[in-house]
This record gives sequence, C-alpha cells and structure tokens, in this order.
Amino acid sequence: MSTTADPTPGDAAGAAVAASGPAAAGAAAAASDLAPPSTDELFAIVLARDLRPEDRTIQIGANMPMARAAAVLANLTTLPDARIVVGLGVQALGDGGAAPPVLPFVFDPRTRAGESLMHQARVFDDVAKPDVFFVGGLQLDRRGNVNLFGIPGRDGGWKMRGPGSVALATMSANCRGYYVVMPSHDPRTFVERVALISALGDRRERARLRLRGGGVRLVVSPLGVFDFDDDGEMRVRSIHSGVTPEQVREATGFPLNVPEDVPTTTLPTAQELALLRGRVDVDGALRARA
Amino acid sequence: MEHAPAAPPASDGPPAPVGRRSLVAPLADAVAAIPDGATVGIGGAVTAGHPMALVRALARRGVRDLTIVAPTGGVDVDLLIAAGCVRTVVTCYVGIEGLAPVSPVFRSAVQSGAVEVIDLDEAHCVQGLRAAGQGLPFLPWRGGVGTSFSQLNPSLVEFNDPLLGEPLLAVPALELDWALIFAEAADAYGNAQPVGTGHMDALIGAAAARVIVQVERVVSTEEIRRNPDRTLYWRDTAVVRAPFGTHPYSNAFMTADEQHLRDYVRAGREGGAALEQYLDCHVRNGDHDDYLEQVGIRRLASLLI
Repeated sequence: MSTTADPTPGDAAGAAVAASGPAAAGAAAAASDLAPPSTDELFAIVLARDLRPEDRTIQIGANMPMARAAAVLANLTTLPDARIVVGLGVQALGDGGAAPPVLPFVFDPRTRAGESLMHQARVFDDVAKPDVFFVGGLQLDRRGNVNLFGIPGRDGGWKMRGPGSVALATMSANCRGYYVVMPSHDPRTFVERVALISALGDRRERARLRLRGGGVRLVVSPLGVFDFDDDGEMRVRSIHSGVTPEQVREATGFPLNVPEDVPTTTLPTAQELALLRGRVDVDGALRARA
Repeated sequence: MEHAPAAPPASDGPPAPVGRRSLVAPLADAVAAIPDGATVGIGGAVTAGHPMALVRALARRGVRDLTIVAPTGGVDVDLLIAAGCVRTVVTCYVGIEGLAPVSPVFRSAVQSGAVEVIDLDEAHCVQGLRAAGQGLPFLPWRGGVGTSFSQLNPSLVEFNDPLLGEPLLAVPALELDWALIFAEAADAYGNAQPVGTGHMDALIGAAAARVIVQVERVVSTEEIRRNPDRTLYWRDTAVVRAPFGTHPYSNAFMTADEQHLRDYVRAGREGGAALEQYLDCHVRNGDHDDYLEQVGIRRLASLLI
C-alpha cells in the first residue's frame, strides 16, 4: 500500500548501529540488553506511542518494517482492541494472538494469517476502515506534501524515477490520520516545495478540496519529530538525543523555526526496547537496517 | 427469425454427445497470439502471485510496443522492458519491496525515455479496471484530487460531482486486450481457483478481452466443484500449466526466492552485460522447464512452505 523509496537512507545514526548487526539482537535481546536504539527502532517506538485509541484498524504497506513494528508494539500494549493489517493478513494481538513474524516481504504467503485477510481490491470498498497508515517519501515539503513519483526532468521526462505513488493519494485523502516516515533528512528530502505531490498534506488545500481524512499527524526523521501548526507550516516537536537545533536547521531545505527550548525526543524506555526486541522484532530486522 | 425444425438424425439413435472443449494450452502457444501493440494486464502484487512463466514466454517471443498494465509490478515489468517488448507501463508501483525500492530496469528505461509511464494510484487501478469490466467510460474517485496525478496523467480528469459539487477525479476505463493471471489451480475449462486474496486479478480478468491463467495444477472439475465459492472464470480463457511458475515470486505454497531476487537486482542495476547474461540464462535459454533446471531443484524445494 505504501512504501519508502529512498534507496540510500544511510544516516549517521543508522550506520552506527548497523555495526551491531542482527547477531547482536535475536534471542539475546532481553530486558538487560540496553544497546541504544537504532533509527528504525526509535521510529517504531515514537510511532507506537502516538497511535491513538480511535485507531481501530492500522494499515501497513510494503517496505515499512518500522511501521509494522510500531503497530505490533501498540497492539500488544496500549491498543489491545486494534486490528493491524500486516501483509496479506489482518491480525489482532489484544487477546493473546501471536505477533506476526518478521518476514522479508510483506506479501509473503505466510502473512496470509490472522483473523481476516487483506484483499488488495476490496480495501478501497470501505475507505473509512483503515484509520491510520504510514507514508514514506522521496521528498517532503514544509506544507506536508509528499512526493513518491520521482523528480521530473526539465525536458518533460524523468531525472529520477521513483516507484510510483502506490496508494498514497487515496489513503492520505481518507484515513483518520497518517504518519510520514523519512529515512533521510537533508535539504534534498526536506524541501520548500515537492516537485510532485503524491499525498496532499497541505491543510488549506485539503480543506478546500473537502478531503475527509485528518491529514498528517507526525513526521519522523533521523533528526527529530515534526508536526504542523494551525497555519499548516511544519514545526519541530522534538529533536532526537544528541542532535542540535543547528543540525536540524542545516539539514532542512526551508527556513525551519526551531524554538530554543525545543524538547528532546523522549528516549525509549528499557521496557519499550525489551518488548520491541523480545516480542516484536526478535530477528533484529530494525537494528540490521542501516 | 423463424426457428427451423431440426433435421432428423441421419442415422438411427441419439446424436453423439459433444464434449466440453478443453482450454488447456501449451505455454508458448497461449502467448503466441498476443500481437505487437497489445494492452496486456499482469496480475499479482508486489512479490506475490505474478504469472512469471507467461511473462518469460512473452519476453521470449520478441513482441513489441506493448502497453503493460501492472498495478503493483516488479520483475515482470522489468523483464518485458529488458526484452524490448514495452512501450508504455500503466502502474502505481514497480519495485521489489526492500530489495529494490524501484525496479532497476523500469527506472533506467523510464529515465532514458525508452519507456513511458502512466501513473495511477492503487485505487485508480481498481476503479479503472472496474469501469472496463462494467462497460463504463470511467468511475469517480476522491483520492488524487489536489495531487499531481492529473498533471502527470491527463486521462485523469478532475470534475465536480453533479450531486454535491465535490471535487473528484474521473478514472478512465482500463480496457485490456489480454490479461495474464496466476491461480494455484484451474480445471481444463477455465475455472480458476486462486488460494488467498487474489490481489486485483479478478478485476484484471474482467477488464480484458482474453485471459490466460497460469496454474500450478490442472485439476478435475470434480475438485473445482468441492469449493465453487472460490472459482473465478472469464469469458475467453486459456489455461496454462507451469509448475513453480511464479518463481522468483511467491504463491500460496512457495515463498519468494530472496537470493534470486537479490541477484536479479544486482544484474538489473548493473545493466549491460550483466543484465544480458541474466536474460540469456533465465529468459532466452529455452522454455519453462529449462528455466526450472537453471534455478535448480534444491533451490525450488527450499522455497516450498
């Protein structure tokens, strides 16, 4: 349904944890294993914390393992009544169901499990059902628009072609809310204006066009967590531990107001990390991804 | 017209019963009628359930200027492009999930201008296929208004709905000449029984004038009759048996071949001789059985669930 498209995320934080590798995770991941979180683990925990009681169906697309982990984590803790759509299956873990395994491909036939199935063509027959979903993008702009098409060339062709927009336009128009997951944060990815719009985030435009969904809730990047003010301009909600406000400003391709007293993203607790590594991502997929 | 009384049988006794016609066709014969310039829909989703044996057979034929409608494609689209068969791709996604956020040959061919891409949202694919199946010129959709879709794809027309005046997109019918679809089983008469959700395959078949369904097993109609609720059929269908035919993608009984896909992505990104070598080994080198021998029984057996 959605996908991250940046083939070279490779931020410093991610590269640093890649050295720990999957061998360090797996069965050894227990409450006592307090290796610092990888970027994807931080994403999963930040997203899981923000999911809300009204999110009854949480839809995860292809190539979004951090979102998959967030949904499982929330379903096991704060949102026991939710259903999570992981690959071909609709799962519910609130009554003790087994967490879906981490598999390399989200449409793996082994994901055809759970209490119901995800029918690719029928999802769009009940657009109110997926309450929340997750968007990756090649570019994000200060109004919250996301581009997954690619970068057009001057001559009308493509300078850099992305995979296509999957279902971003539809899900962003209809869902109760969505999260934008940006695997890299630099002036090429956080831009003044996206070259093309796959998901319309701009609040004023959304209101004018009478889109029904609630729009972007949060943006997560390797540097911080962002949301949008009443006028629809991106603002910093928190910056991650070890990142300076100056770094965030320099990495952003538009003037970003970073308040002096901007909070630091609350670090994952030992309990959150233990649950993530011990029950959700037992194979260490989120730590292996650099 | 007056109904003429049937002529009495020439010989004594009842007329000989006319048997039901088998629709089973050899792989190469089934794709032989697809002409240059045809619009061909391909089923499956991301890394699951693509009719790859049909795709490779089509690539082998050297047909040209196809318009490929692949809602969520990947290696299928890439191989046809690499074999020089494709002019236009209609899609919402061409990639190989975590292994290649964008399929390598698709990306380079679109960037070079060799192949044109017509962008749709995933739900636009559904609505366009439905409109074709329903014999309508278009169906409306909300997702996509205010985005770049109508700029990139002028066949998507923004309009105000006549009842409430809300801005919507008109998604034109995606009429297909041919549909290439995978199902785990079918009988000889075109009763297909996919296992699982079937992705958009039923709609792709409904949007097409002719359907080729590639199966793991051709089963008896008695077996089909045990689960009639699972049967799909289309007006004009050929059935092609091709065991392990979704490889390197998955079906209900087999996972995707991650190592093969990684090797493919490497060859596709490198292009040139590396890609030619992949095509020589896996597409041009004989038929489907040759392909399976090339992949090897140990690898294939390891993929079975």
